[in-house]
Amino acid sequence: MPHLTKNYPIKARDYLKAGEVSIQVQGLLKSIGFTPELIRRVSLCAYEAEMNVVMHGGDGELTLDVDTDRVSLEFRDGGPGIEDIGLALQEGYSTASEEAREMGFGAGMGLPNIQKNSDSLEILSEKGKGTDVKIGFIA
Amino acid sequence: MEQEHPALHYVQIDEKRCTGCVLCMKACPVKAIRVRDRKVAQIVGGCIDCGECIRVCPQGAIKAITTGSDPSKLSRYTIISASPVLYAQFGEEVMPNEVLLALRKRFKYIYDQAYIHELYNVAVELHIKENRGKEGAVRPLISPICPVVNRLIGYRFPSLLKHIIPIVTPREIAARELKRRLYCDRVFDTTEFGVYHITPCSAKMVSINDPMFLKASYLDGALGINEVYELIAKNLRDLEEDIILHRSSGVGIGWGVSGGEIAGLEDGSFLAVSGLSETIRYLEKIEMGLFEDIEYFEFRACLEGCIGGPLTVADRYQAKRTVAKFVRMFGQEKRLKYAQAKKAYQDGWFFSESKKIPIAAKHHKLSLSDALARQEKIEEVLRRLPGKECGLCGSPDCRTFSEDVADGLVGEDRCILLNLEKKR
Repeated sequence: MPHLTKNYPIKARDYLKAGEVSIQVQGLLKSIGFTPELIRRVSLCAYEAEMNVVMHGGDGELTLDVDTDRVSLEFRDGGPGIEDIGLALQEGYSTASEEAREMGFGAGMGLPNIQKNSDSLEILSEKGKGTDVKIGFIA
Repeated sequence: MEQEHPALHYVQIDEKRCTGCVLCMKACPVKAIRVRDRKVAQIVGGCIDCGECIRVCPQGAIKAITTGSDPSKLSRYTIISASPVLYAQFGEEVMPNEVLLALRKRFKYIYDQAYIHELYNVAVELHIKENRGKEGAVRPLISPICPVVNRLIGYRFPSLLKHIIPIVTPREIAARELKRRLYCDRVFDTTEFGVYHITPCSAKMVSINDPMFLKASYLDGALGINEVYELIAKNLRDLEEDIILHRSSGVGIGWGVSGGEIAGLEDGSFLAVSGLSETIRYLEKIEMGLFEDIEYFEFRACLEGCIGGPLTVADRYQAKRTVAKFVRMFGQEKRLKYAQAKKAYQDGWFFSESKKIPIAAKHHKLSLSDALARQEKIEEVLRRLPGKECGLCGSPDCRTFSEDVADGLVGEDRCILLNLEKKR
């Protein structure tokens, strides 16, 4: 079976390029020809997770895995980690910096939005050691 | 898998003048140009007639076809409906009415289309209101005015076609009403001479031959502003008549500049975006499901709006200044009766009998498994390429070249830098 894996580096605090990786993921899935609904869900989750890495994480990386029947995203960053994952999953809870909020980000909807639009979500994080977010979609 | 696009292009490359440089290929936002065997640029893919290539070609080898005939051969009885962008071409001192009078020396029936823009604003306002709070309503809505944006959406963002509001554009409403009125008044049979639209836009002929939401266009042709400029400039020197042809306020005229359309809307959250690369960025994000807080987007493919159209004569920034002056001069109040406009909306005056949406491209349909295999091949080729984005291979960038290789259109040996590396 054909299978595609691709890595994308993400730079922390680079607001100029923020969102670029998810747009590339969106373009790739479109040229393969998945349904618009799946592409919307994947790219929206990619966008939210990418923004999280840009806002909170250290430099990080996205690994995209594509099969004909599923798509998965894995974001890894070397940032400060999430102290309380349960809290982070609550709508409106945010630890975003003033800088991020001034640009209209950091409304505390990132992870809740991902949870709502994905088929599986797994967050591994340890304070001071970074975060690993795995997001799965059934095509 | 790329296929020769069957539709006629209104942007055409003159092979005799083309030197085969890469500038148009690089400028093309939809990567529809290649410079291959015959060493001249060719349009291969889904051209959206935006005219970016026309702007960058140093040889003047690329042109937009408008009427396809010489404007000087048109009958004196041809009905002319002018885009307000025309008013901004002759400097701040020349008034819109004078421009229309200058046209009238050549054509008997001249219409100020800007007035319809004001009616149209009312229709959009009412449509947005109806959409508000509706179960399953599409958000954000997208303006149907720019034909390049419509084609861009049809090719690259088909899932967003349902966001384009199904209201007939002012140029078409103007043409329809002119035909009806002149015909009812028994002035003459309008089929004989036709209604022509004076336009800054290289894609107008496309939208006339394949209009959005209409079975067929009410317009019979388009004239580029550049095609009538000299005629108007000459006639402006000795205007004899003194009648009022200009009817619109500053609201209708303001449409020529990005943000002008939404400036005529009241009470809501609207956003105006101009320029193709910015428009594409926004469409990508709307497709992700972002911007649901915006109710209506005004997109214009040309930077700064229609005053930046490829068929204009005046510099876009000077034209912008002229429009701003007219907007102040003629005021921000629409010159229409709101109740009448609202009734027209309710009576369906702004809508069409047809729901036709042109989808310009027939996308290749591979099975998901074949498409994924193709993508794997593309990524594999891409990893080998030097990534200099030079365009010497005849494809606009390394990614597109990889696609062309994966589709068997060219060999990988076409990459000159890769060959050099191998020789070392």
